[in-house]
Parts: sequence; C-alpha cells; structure tokens
Amino acid sequence: MKDFFSRYGVWILAVAALFAVALSAFSYFTSTSTVLENAAGVVTSPFRFAAESVGQWFTDKQRYYKSYNDLLAENAALKQEVAELRANARQADRDREENALLRDLIGLREQRRELELESAMILERSSSNWTRTMTLNRGTAHGVARNNMVVTSSSEGHLVGVVTEVGLNWCTVQTIIDTDTELGALLFRTGDAVIAEGDFTLMREKRLKVSYLPADTSLLVGDYIVTSGLGGYYPSNIVIGTVERVETDENGLAQYAVLAPMCDFDTLTEVFIIKSFDIVE
Amino acid sequence: MLTRRDIIIKWSSYAAACLLLLLLFALLLRDVELFGVRMFLPPLFVGVVASMEDARAGTIFGLACGVLCDLTTAGTFPCVYTLAFTLAAMACSALAKSVLQPGVLCSVAVTALTFLFVDMLNMLALFLRQRASFGAMALLAVQETVVSCLFLIVCHPVLWMLHRKFTL
Repeated sequence: MKDFFSRYGVWILAVAALFAVALSAFSYFTSTSTVLENAAGVVTSPFRFAAESVGQWFTDKQRYYKSYNDLLAENAALKQEVAELRANARQADRDREENALLRDLIGLREQRRELELESAMILERSSSNWTRTMTLNRGTAHGVARNNMVVTSSSEGHLVGVVTEVGLNWCTVQTIIDTDTELGALLFRTGDAVIAEGDFTLMREKRLKVSYLPADTSLLVGDYIVTSGLGGYYPSNIVIGTVERVETDENGLAQYAVLAPMCDFDTLTEVFIIKSFDIVE
Repeated sequence: MLTRRDIIIKWSSYAAACLLLLLLFALLLRDVELFGVRMFLPPLFVGVVASMEDARAGTIFGLACGVLCDLTTAGTFPCVYTLAFTLAAMACSALAKSVLQPGVLCSVAVTALTFLFVDMLNMLALFLRQRASFGAMALLAVQETVVSCLFLIVCHPVLWMLHRKFTL
C-alpha cells in the first residue's frame, strides 16, 4: 500500500486536482448539475424520498397526537369554562331576582318608612277547600307575631292577609278572602269607613265583601279600599283591593260591595310581613 | 293472631303508605282543581283504613289522623278534624262490619261518610259564625267528596294490598 502511494500518489493527486478543476469549471460555465452530481442525485432520490416520506409520516403522527392531546386539554378547559359561565349566569339570574325584590323592598320602605318589614317565602298553601291560608318561612325567631299584616313584595305592598299562628320558624297567614277575615277599612276616594270581610260564597271566586256601607255612599267600580288603621291595630292605607260590583244582601235591606284583591294568591311566592309600624296621624 | 311486632310493622306500613300517597299527590295533583275544588286526601285514608281494620284500631287511626291534620292544616275551628275523623272512623268501621264487605264499593261509601262528618262540622261552624249560605256549602261538600273519591283509584289498591298482606 505504501509502495502504491509512493509510486502513484503524485498521479492520483494530479488526477484529483484535474477532476476538481474540471468540475469547478463545468459548474461555473453551465447552469445544470454535473453529470456525476446528477447521477448521484438520480440514484439517491428514491431513498431520500422514502426517508423523507417516512420522516414526514412520523412527524405528522407526532403532530396529530400532540394536537389531539392539546384538543382534549382544550376541550376539558372549555367545558369547565362553560360550566363556570353557566353557574355565573344562574347566579346572575338569582341576583337579578333578589335585586328586584330588594329594590321593591327599598321602594316600599322609602314610601312607608313607618313600617318594619320582614321578607318571607310561601312554603305551603292550604289543602282544605274550606279555608284560605298559607304558611310562611318566618316565625318568632325572626320577630314575627300574631296579627302581623302580610303584604305583597311589590313596591305597592298590597294586603295579602294576617298572621294567625306563629311557630319558631313558620307562621300561618289567613288570607283576606278567608271566611274569618274581618278588617276595618276605608273607601279611599271618599274616606268612608267600612268593613272588609271574608264570605264563604265569594271565597271560591277569590273575592271578599265590603259591608256596612254608609247609606249615602256612592261606590264606583274600581274604587280602592284600604285599611283604616283605626284603633292602631293594623297599619293604615294598605290597599286591600278594588270594588268590582255592588250587590244587595239576601234580605234585600243592605248593600255590600264585592272586592277584588290586588294580589293573585295562586302566583304569590314571596311576601313581606309588617312586624311593627308607627301610627301616622 | 298478629304478634306485637307484626302490629307495629302493619301500622308503620299504613303510615308510610299514607305519607307516600300524600307525597305523590303533592308532586302531581296538588294544584289540580276540578269544579273549582282540590282533592283532600286525609278523609280517604281514615275511611278506607277504618273500614278494613277492627273498630278500636280504626278509631285510634282516625283520632291520630285527626290530631295530625289539626296540627298541620287550618280548619274552620281548631279541633274539627280530630272530632270528625274519630266519629267517622267509628261509623265507617260499623258500616263495613254490618252492611258492606270491605272492597271498592265499601271504600267509596266510607270515604263519602267521612267527608259527610267533616263537611257537616265545617258547615255548622261556618253557619254559626257568619250564616254562610247552606246551598253553597252543600255544593262545595258534594264537589269535594266527588273529586276526592277519584283518588281512591290509587289509594284503595295500596291500602287494600297492605291489609291483605298483614291480615289475610
């Protein structure tokens, strides 16, 4: 081997140099690759293509799995976000309702500063067909007492009934259409004193009657009847209802008015209990 | 002859069945009104159970139901259900032992009888208190009885099944 290089080394170098010069010159003077390069390219091209394809396939698979995992993670994150947004929306609904209720309460409190109010929810309506009562979720623990008036949770505060029984955390309200109801009232337009009382026949129509009408009273349909507050037993000027019609009693001697309450007892869900009040002169 | 344990299980089962029926009613039929009246279930339980059991047990059941109703439901006067259900249970038991054999027809009859006792007391109280129209009260009583009897379709088979299981 040593002899080979010592004998032909110079020649090999010379050929290599000549070859290199030829390639350089050829590449300088032509715009295409050399024959050898071309040949080498042609031979290796399928292998390179195969290698590239396999490499690309692996890369695609890697990307796919990476994307799939990313999507799974993103999906989980989005689901959690949706759940949080839904929870927020529900909370917002509840807050909106509570806000409206509190606005009503503030409105009623602003209008009727003499009233001390307690908000309550209706737990149950009477199951008997012979009485009209409801049970609320407030009792002596919240300062509720017997004979407290109950009004609607709207800012107008229409009369719903009177507390007749109280427990620690519940109370029973006798609604104004119950047969046992009897309240001192005023005809708002004229100031005439009357009695608003429950009547068995009218109770089924969800109405009550106004009796002891003064002889010279001219009642109009739509006249407001409000609590009189006489005697300081109940607060005054709480709207009981409006006159619906005037009828004559069975004896034909006296007239009474049929009163339509301002609240719908079937749809009520929240009410205010008037725990105490100042007598307004 | 039932042992003490069997008796306790039987009456506990009756109580549980009644509560279950009340729950079912509260979930499905609470706001349903027919002829402007709602079903009132306690008289059904009192009448049907009293007609199936012996006089003493039926009367005690009626008394217990009455006390519970008076404690939880507003009535026309404070002890209306205690009085009405106890008397009705005695009458239903007598009717079932002497005139009718316990069954569907008997359940309808004793339910009507129980409502008669309850509604008579209600009518008396309302008449004495405010001279309420007898016609209007009688109409409500009939309507309430008819509407409530519809629930016997569910109530009778359940209580009858319990009765058969423990007695026959």
